[in-house]
Amino acid sequence: MSDRTLIIPKKRRPFFLRRGPMEALAVLLIALGFLMLFQPFWLVLYTYSFVTLLAGTAMFTVVSKFPE
Amino acid sequence: MNSSHQTFAEKASRLATEAAVRATPEPLAKRVRGFSDRAIAWLFIAPTIALLLAINIFPLFWAIYLSFTNYRANRPNAEVRNIGLSNYSRILNDPDIWASMQTTAHFVFWTILLQTVIGFGLAYLIDRKFRGHAFWTTLILIPMMLSPAVVGNFWRFLYEPQIGLFAYAVSFLTGIPTSDIQMLGSVQLAPWAIVIVDTWMWTPYVMLICLAGLRSIPDYIYEAAEVDRASPWRQFWSITVPMALPFIMLAVLFRGIENFKMFDMVNLLTGGGPGSTTEVASIALKRDAFEAWATGRSSAFAIVLFVAVFGLANIYVKALNRVKQR
Amino acid sequence: MSTAKPAAGTAAHSVVEPSATSKRVAATLVILYAVITMVPLAWIFLTSIKSPPDSISYPPKLLFTPSLEGYCNLFTTRTRQTPEYIAALPPPENTCDAVTRERNMVIAGPSNFLPRFVNSLIIAFGSTFLAVGLGTLAAYGFSRFKVPLADDLLFFILSTRMMPPIAVAIPIFLMYRELGLSDTAIGMMLLYTAVNVSLAVWLLKGFIDEIPREYEEAAMIDGYTRLQAFRKVVLPQATTGIAATAIFCLIFAWNEYAFASLLTSGSAQTAPPFIPTIIGEGGQDWPAVAAGTTIFLVPILVFTILLRKQLLRGITFGAVRK
Repeated sequence: MSDRTLIIPKKRRPFFLRRGPMEALAVLLIALGFLMLFQPFWLVLYTYSFVTLLAGTAMFTVVSKFPE
Repeated sequence: MNSSHQTFAEKASRLATEAAVRATPEPLAKRVRGFSDRAIAWLFIAPTIALLLAINIFPLFWAIYLSFTNYRANRPNAEVRNIGLSNYSRILNDPDIWASMQTTAHFVFWTILLQTVIGFGLAYLIDRKFRGHAFWTTLILIPMMLSPAVVGNFWRFLYEPQIGLFAYAVSFLTGIPTSDIQMLGSVQLAPWAIVIVDTWMWTPYVMLICLAGLRSIPDYIYEAAEVDRASPWRQFWSITVPMALPFIMLAVLFRGIENFKMFDMVNLLTGGGPGSTTEVASIALKRDAFEAWATGRSSAFAIVLFVAVFGLANIYVKALNRVKQR
Repeated sequence: MSTAKPAAGTAAHSVVEPSATSKRVAATLVILYAVITMVPLAWIFLTSIKSPPDSISYPPKLLFTPSLEGYCNLFTTRTRQTPEYIAALPPPENTCDAVTRERNMVIAGPSNFLPRFVNSLIIAFGSTFLAVGLGTLAAYGFSRFKVPLADDLLFFILSTRMMPPIAVAIPIFLMYRELGLSDTAIGMMLLYTAVNVSLAVWLLKGFIDEIPREYEEAAMIDGYTRLQAFRKVVLPQATTGIAATAIFCLIFAWNEYAFASLLTSGSAQTAPPFIPTIIGEGGQDWPAVAAGTTIFLVPILVFTILLRKQLLRGITFGAVRK
């Protein structure tokens, strides 16, 4: 699979099925979750921080299975 | 390492001749030979997995189950009802727990900032390879190996306003009367008391990893920069820092995880007080679970912390792999 | 390291070898930091050999007559008696008797420190032995065979170590209560083994990865079974790694406080939750606390010095080798 993507760059998987960018996105989501958890300004952001963290972590686990 | 390999190579050849001399393998060995590699792999891994399933995973699932109930550990015979997500909604709307998260954030931010700056600075200085640097490095490393609880407990003595060494030293240097240096008793100073002990203890950790990062930078890069007549300042910011960055990230992430769940030191130094000024998440959780005995609700709180740490751990392992490839 | 390169061309000094001035500045700053960082530890030791009045004097005393009172108080419980009663006693049998009588007290019996210290020893060594044993097997499995989902299993193993102890303690507390493992050495040993096995697997996998497979393969071609090759070829090669891993596990189990303070209260209590509870008349008996702390820290000090070459590897789960 990865061999072919190397040879024929046009058939590269779309970014949402590749590991690199999606992992970066998941890391961003987790970081956002922490910001929401830690910020002292809006209670509602704190309330939704858990969902954000959960989504980020779940996403990370799934996308780390994707090929590069 | 090399020499041991060579001695081993000799040993291997000796073993080989011994095995050749032996006529037939004993019957037991023949039966054992029956284990396929795959069977051995599982045989070797299974006990570890079984232990972790019993001591880590089973309790985790139990905690997830409990987080949806109103169970109280001090009333084991009371009826346990499934109350859906209300534990979570209570935890995530509770201003006190939100405040404990901000307290945690304060610690995580300041300890990491101080430890990274001091740790990297020390590593940079030790990397000058002055004479005796190995000895002083070992000395600096000692605090991080000690028990945070036992040493943290002793810091209470150092922080005593009337008799403690810390208050005396500060008052000697600044002229502030010792009675004003209530490190553990004052609302303003107590959080800093913990930051100081944590920094004292864990700066060596950051230093050690940064030092590895600095030593991983090959000399030829600096030589090339010298040829290009790049100033030392420029070399520092465009070679040293970027090349050591993966290592710094590793240290920061690990300290982040550790300080996010900080318990030992806070519990012994202040116990969360005065009032709730140093009540970090772990202390709030302990109070909820083992003093208020709200087991269901505290399980939900525990799951929230789990998920946060699990997310960070994912990023940490990614950073580990990146460093490993260096 | 000592071979300074000759300066080439116009460069005043070699790039690799820092200048003498910068070395001197660096040495001064590092030594200053090292000395400051040692002060609390030195103070622990000094306090442990002070008499209680010396320990709480202001300003803090640097010069004092050493006293064994802290160590005596650490190991004994005492009761207050009238001077007449003490005068009527036979002459003191040992130093501790004498020191105690000067304070108008007599030794009533041993304190709980020794049993707690022994608990620490049993639990730390027991869990280390189990964790390293299990860890070696699992690490060999992960290192040499294609295990399906190996990366996920390894991550799962590592992530169990990252968990907040208080969060883990809630269900463990309930589970141990059901199983009758609360406040038992076995329960604590199992728990520490589970926490330590993750570090052991990660570290040992690195060490075993470094042993070339060819050695075992050669042995197997010569008639060894896989198990024999593991025992006679891999294990001897991995000795250094196993020893380093064992010391790391030992240090963790020795220092652990959160689980111990929540899950043990009496017979299985270890030293870390016990030491802060040492009190004398009118509050914390600081010389005794310092004495307990000193005794507790000395083994770790020795281990740290023995381990300094492997330290980096241990704290990065084997990711940074040197």
